[in-house]
Parts: sequence; structure tokens; C-alpha cells
Amino acid sequence: MSETMTAETADHPGARPAANARGRANHKASSIEMQGLHKRFGRDTVALDGVDLNIRAGEFFTLLGPSGCGKTTLLRILAGLEEPDAGSLVVGGKDITETPPHQRSVNTVFQSYALFPHLSVRENLAFGLKMRGMPAAERHSKVDEIADFIKLGDLIDRHVDQLSGGQRQRIALARALICEPDVLLLDEPLSALDAGLRSQLQVELLRVQKRLGMTFVFVTHDQQEAMVMSDRIAVLNGGTIQQVGAPRDVYERPVNAFVAHFMGHDNLYPISARKSDRLITALGELTAEEAGDGELLLIRPETLDLLPGAVEGPNHLTATVAERLYRGSHAEFRLAIADTTLQATVNNRGRHLPEVGETVTVVVAPEDLVTLSE
Amino acid sequence: MRKRTLARGLAGIWWVTLFFLYAPLFVIVLFSFNSANSTAIFENFSLAWYRRLFGNEQIINAFGNSLVLAVSSSIIALVIGCLIGYGMYRHRHRKLGWLIVLIYLPIVLPDIVFGISEMAFFVQIHEWTGLLQPGLGTMIIAHVTFQIPFVALIVYSRFVGLDPTLFEAAKDLYASPIKRVVHFMVPTIKPALISAFFLSFTLSIDDFVISFFTAGPESATLPIYIWSAIKKGVTPEINAIATLMIGAVAMAAIFSMLFNRRGRR
Amino acid sequence: MSYSGAVPTARSRAMVRETRHLLFSVAPGAVWIFIFLVLPSAYLMGVAFMTNGPYGLPQMPLSLDAFERLAGVGFLGWSPGNLYTLLRSLWQTLVSTVLVVIVAYPVAYYITTCREKWRPILLLLVVVPSWTNQVIRAFGWMNLLAPGTPLSSLAESLGLVAPNMGLYPSNFAVTLGLVYNFLPFMVLPLYAAFEKLDTAQVQAAQDLYASPVRAFWHAVFPQTLPGLLAGTVLVAIPAFGMYVIPELLGGGKGMMLGNLVANQFAGSSNWPLGAAGAILMLIATFIGLFAMRRIGKRLGGGEEVVI
Repeated sequence: MSETMTAETADHPGARPAANARGRANHKASSIEMQGLHKRFGRDTVALDGVDLNIRAGEFFTLLGPSGCGKTTLLRILAGLEEPDAGSLVVGGKDITETPPHQRSVNTVFQSYALFPHLSVRENLAFGLKMRGMPAAERHSKVDEIADFIKLGDLIDRHVDQLSGGQRQRIALARALICEPDVLLLDEPLSALDAGLRSQLQVELLRVQKRLGMTFVFVTHDQQEAMVMSDRIAVLNGGTIQQVGAPRDVYERPVNAFVAHFMGHDNLYPISARKSDRLITALGELTAEEAGDGELLLIRPETLDLLPGAVEGPNHLTATVAERLYRGSHAEFRLAIADTTLQATVNNRGRHLPEVGETVTVVVAPEDLVTLSE
Repeated sequence: MRKRTLARGLAGIWWVTLFFLYAPLFVIVLFSFNSANSTAIFENFSLAWYRRLFGNEQIINAFGNSLVLAVSSSIIALVIGCLIGYGMYRHRHRKLGWLIVLIYLPIVLPDIVFGISEMAFFVQIHEWTGLLQPGLGTMIIAHVTFQIPFVALIVYSRFVGLDPTLFEAAKDLYASPIKRVVHFMVPTIKPALISAFFLSFTLSIDDFVISFFTAGPESATLPIYIWSAIKKGVTPEINAIATLMIGAVAMAAIFSMLFNRRGRR
Repeated sequence: MSYSGAVPTARSRAMVRETRHLLFSVAPGAVWIFIFLVLPSAYLMGVAFMTNGPYGLPQMPLSLDAFERLAGVGFLGWSPGNLYTLLRSLWQTLVSTVLVVIVAYPVAYYITTCREKWRPILLLLVVVPSWTNQVIRAFGWMNLLAPGTPLSSLAESLGLVAPNMGLYPSNFAVTLGLVYNFLPFMVLPLYAAFEKLDTAQVQAAQDLYASPVRAFWHAVFPQTLPGLLAGTVLVAIPAFGMYVIPELLGGGKGMMLGNLVANQFAGSSNWPLGAAGAILMLIATFIGLFAMRRIGKRLGGGEEVVI
């Protein structure tokens, strides 16, 4: 899924050739290695409980999890704004665990954007370069270059408090990118924006990342956003990493109940008994192919087919429609099977959509069944 | 009907109050131009008192003392108060009750207690060690003591009003600790620094009681000079000096009004 | 695990750094206030319990003489002079605070009824006189109230004062001076309270209650209480310790506690007696602050009361 998205954005008609980025592409992407990171706040708030994670150079990597899972703490440790209690952090082959933030070639796009209110947009953009001691003339041309690259247009001459949320977000991104860091960190940069603007900026952000080839570490609690944007996702909970993988892996093959729930799955059934590839759950008996040996069965709603009436067959379950939500492009069903319920999503191809109370047969494909641990 | 009466009544009270507030100042200004030495009858317009004023070395000295005292104490208080204000902000999650008590002490202590305790203390220390001879030095010390809390509170509240991630953004954008102070903190709180300085300056110029008790024989400020002139009953030039001081305040008022307007735009 | 061993070092390093930072930033000011205000105040407290020496300077042994003198016990038996001074201070504080409230209420309300762009200017007009030195302001009133001035002549012709006495020096002049001095301190917090007023509630009250007075009492007044309280703290506490105004406008019979205390360090020189008076003033100040805090908390508007 993300592969297609990536290809699309790179070939987007609006995307100008890499020459316009003036040799920025693949400039110096760095890998990140984290080992045994621990962090506690106060006596007993554990934010990170042993995090080992490798992020590849040039990757769009997302830290995904609910609030309080430790994703922001991990990001802040990468930025140097928080010091880990234990563990090490290596960026581009250099151990920077104890390097103060201002000496790290790592920049952050903050959730609140954190634009300096006493400076103009231009001065905000040039701030990092100025602190690094770049001469004014060079700074100026760099600012023009980035403004052109992010398409800031006439925003550059505005004052910070005249900007809208989306504009601030882009300035904050430009202010971080202009420093050409080894790694760019993004702390829920889109969470304060409304839905339309948000998806527009998602595409824009992705395009920028692909063109620069820079390593991006993105923090979000929105699994949709994570799947759209990322090359790989790490799902965190309770200060530990639950699963790392490409969006498809994490969505289609979650390793445990937490990841499954967080990715939006509800159809989870404890396996009461199993005979080789035959699994017994509250739904009845199902045959699975390469389901693994977890103790929970996951059935993704969109993999199910509904046949009208009661039809006998392998992996066929007879059900009654308890609820139907018509969504135009598709319909969501809550089906009553034995003493439990099953969610199913069916694309609206103009065929018959079962009504509430109707008896239907659910067809489960053996290759779509996955088991996972608690 | 009743509403209109109420509105008229309120406006009436407002104008009477305004008259009450400005009458004593107006009388001073008026009689500073009186040719006669009287505050009851205005004879002719004259600048005689102003001429005498500029020939009076004591007054010129007192004016100088006031200025030196206000400027130097405000600068010292600005530095010390800023540090406290920043410390209070940075460590606002710690229990700093003792610091709050310490900072509010100079504000709540009655002037007179403030003044005499410092005077008694300075005299005693001087007797023991020869240090702290009453004079401009002791006055500066006393003024700084009551200016620090105001500076600290103004700076603190400015910091509290900022987005805390700004500090992190500055770190993130390669600003070393010193550069953070120079390029981020000072410019960001500049309005607070300016108003803290002017407030300190005004508090110092305005103060009489504390100055009076900590002053030495050579360090009389303008208010002290005016006070002793009134006490001695020799008041001819007082109206003229007071008028100049009122004029300075009026200028400050106009300035602050313009500053205020531009700030809001 | 290496974790448990590494925790204290990284954490304690951060702790040490933060503590050093706290000390570096706060210490200069804290030490300054401690040396130049806490120590002097403590010294003054000590002086109150010493004996008066020949030049008015404190001496050993420790005694309660100063407090006895403050209560009026002298070489010639008991005299009520100091007690009168104390009562006069309380009375002047009470009267001037009440008068300030009576004037400030309509003034603050009037400012809120004006157009928004005028309000800062009107407030400035109220505050500006208090920027001038209080000695000068008192001097202005001396000019206005002295014998022979129009105001004094008017008072004489109405029989309010004896002929050729003038309105100053007098207790009346002191009250006037106090009201004049502290009016802005009451107008500002009251104005802030009026500005926050819930107008919907006021309008509802105007419908509910027949008379505007009752509407005011039930809807407006309770909402301005926090401002009133803040103003009272700002007026009453410094008024009780006032020195300049009674000294210039009051004459011998207008003396307040501040003058009694100050005189022991200037003219008549009895440091222990002055220090005892200062202690009394401090006690009154802290009782006042404490009481206001308690009332403020009960009102729920604790934040309005700055102190």
C-alpha cells in the first residue's frame, strides 16, 4: 500500500525534477541505532522501558502509539531534549547519547510549531543557520532557496502572528529543513490541522522527504496517517516497542492484540482448541493457512465475502445481519454468529446489500486468517 | 429615564473626581509662575522661581543624586531580578515557597519598617566594620532591594506566557546556552525588560520614605530636598521644582499612552 | 541489568545540573534580599527587646521597656498619648478606606461604561497623579488647604473651622490626603472586576428586581467582591503605616503610628520604642494580609488577591 503511494507522489505532475532541489537529494541521510533506552520521570512513571530500534538511512519512519506510550519521549531523546537514564543512541555512526541538542545535526518540527514570536518569518527560517555561524549573505540565499522549495511564496515577508495553522506548519518544516540535518524529527506536526489541509500536507511532506532522501522520524497517534506516510512503522505501548514493520505488515499481520486493536481491528477471537490448521473459536471451526501459532484469531472485515442465504461449504459461516452501516463506497455489517458478533466490510459494487435481519453466509478465505498472541 | 439619570450621575462623579485628582497638581503648577511668594493670591506671571532654581546648587545636586540613584539601582535590579524571574520560571515545578515569601517580603513590608530597619542595620554594621556609611551606596542597596521583586515578577510572567517549546526550538536550532540568552531569551522578553526598567526607575524616583532613612548628609535626593524645605518652611522654589517633576510625569504618561497604542496595533 | 546501575548516574547528573542552575539564577537576588532586608528586619525585632541607651541607641540588657512605653507607661506614670496615636491610625485607615471605596466604585463603573478605546486613557488619567512623588502631592494639598486659600475661606465662612485656622494641619487634611493617595489602588482592581462582569446576569437581575439598587446589590456587587478585596489590601495596609501624609498634613495632633515609629529614629531617638512600634505595624500588616487571604479563599476568587 505505501509502495504505491510513494510511487504516486514521486511521479506527481507538480513535482519538479530533482535538479530544482539543487543537489539536495540523498545529501547525507543517516541511520539511527537505539539500544536499551530507558527513561523514567519522577519516581515511578516509566516512559521508556528498554527500546532497541534501528532506523535506516533515508527512511520515513513512524513512531505510532496512544498518548503516554513513550513515542514523544523517544523523539525527544533523539532530539537531545531529554537524556535517557540508560542506553545508547548512534546517529550516522556517531554515538550522540550525551551530545547536547545544539550540537546534534538533528532538527525537529514541533507540534506547536514553536515559531519565535519576536522574529519575522525570514528570521525564523535563518535562525538555525545564524546560530551555526553562517554569514548573512549565504543565509539569505539559503532562505530564498528553501522558500522556493517549500513554495512559501509571499509568506516569507509576513509576521509570525499573521500566519494560519497550515502556514505555520510549513514554516516550521522549512525552518528545520534549511539546516540540512542528518535526521528530521516531526512531533505530530499535522495534529492541529483540519482534515482537508491535513491530507494535503501529508502528501506534501511525503514528497519533500522522497525528494531530499532525508531520514524522517515521524510521531503520530493516527494509524491512518502512519500507514499513508511511512516506509516502516514502530508501534509503541507502555514504553516498549510492540512491533516494527512496513505498514502492510503491521496492519495485516499484527503481532499482538494491542497492535491489532490499535490498527483498528475488532474481529479478535480466542482460540479454544486447534487441530493442525483447524482452529476452534466462538465463531465455529475455521481452516487457516500459515496462521502461525498465536492464541488469538484475527479476521479482517474487508477480507470477508457475504453470500445471501445459508450456503454450506468449507470456511462458510451462517450469520444474521444485526446492523448495517451504509457508507456509499462500502457498507459495514455487524453479523451475529452463534453467541458472538463479527464485523464485515463489503465494497458496494451495485449488487444486493443484505438487510438487517437477513440470513447471510460469511466466506472466510484461509490465507487471510492470522493468529497473534495476547 | 432612570438610566439616563444614573449615567449623568456617574459622569458627574467622574469629573468631580478628576478635578479632585488634578487640583493639587494644578495649584503647584499655577503658583510656580506667581511673581509673589504666596499660594493664596496669584499676582503676576513670572519665571523668577525657575531662575532661582537653576542657581541653587543644592537642588542641582539633589537632582543629580536622584538620577544616579534611579539609574544605577534600576540597572542592578534589572540584572538580579531577571535572573530570579528566569530561575522561578525554569524551576516552576519545584517547591519554591521560601523564594516566593522572600520575593513578596519587600512588597508587603510597610515603607517605614523597611526604611528604619535598613537604617538601623546599616548604622550598626557601620559601627562594627566601618562599611556601609550612609550615603548614595546605602540608598542604592535599599532601592535595589525593593525593585528586585517587581523586575522578577514582570520577567517571570513574561516567561510563563511563552510557549515552553520555544526554548526547545532554540536548543534544537543549534543555539548554545549563551546564544540562547542573546538571540532568543533577551529579544523575546525585551518588552518585559523595558517595562521592568521603567517601573524600577519610577519606583526609585517616587520613593521618599526609604530614601529618607537610608540617605547620608551628602546624598539628599530631590524628594528629600523638597521635604526638608517644606519642613523648614522655606518653600519659594518648591513649586517650580515640583512643576518640573510633574512635567516629567506628564511626559511619561503621554509616552506610555503612545507606546500602548502602537503596541496594540 | 546495566539499567539499574546506570540510572543514578545519568539522573543525578541532571539533578546536580538543575540544582546548580537554580542556585546560580536565584541566589544573587535571594541572598541580596536576605542580607539587606531579612537580616535588618530581624535586627530591628531584636532592638525592640533591648533597653534605650543615653543617645537613643539600643543597649543590653534585654527588657520589655519599649513595649511598656508603647502602651503609655513612662517615668511620669501612664499617659494615653501613644494609645491615641494607635487608635487614630486605625480610625484614619478605616475612614479613608471606606471613602476610597465610595469614590472608586462609581469611577470604576463609569470607566467600564465608556467606549473601549477610551478606557485605557481614562484609567491612565486616574493613575498619572500617583506617579508624582507623594511629598509633592501632599505639598499640593498644603497649598490648597492652607489658611487664606479659597477652600479654607469657604470652610471658615460656613463655620466649619475656627477663623484663620485653615483646613490644614488637621485630621481632616490627613484623611483627604490618604483618600487622594490611595484612590487609584482601588479603582484599578475594581475596574478589572467590572470589566469581567457577566452582563447577561446583570440584565437578568434588572428584569428580576424592581429597583436598580436591588439589582446592583444582588447581581453586580457580589461579582466585584474579589476586586474590592484586592483594593482593600492595597489601600488599608499601606494606609495604616503611612508616614508622609500625616507628617505634612496632620501636624502634632494628626500623628499616626508611622510618625511615632519614625520619630524614634529621627528626632526624639528611642530605637527600642520605635522598633516596638514597627513590630506592632508588622503584626497588623500580617493580620490584615492573612484575613484578606482567608476571605479571598472563601469568595473563591483567590487569584484576584495578588498577595
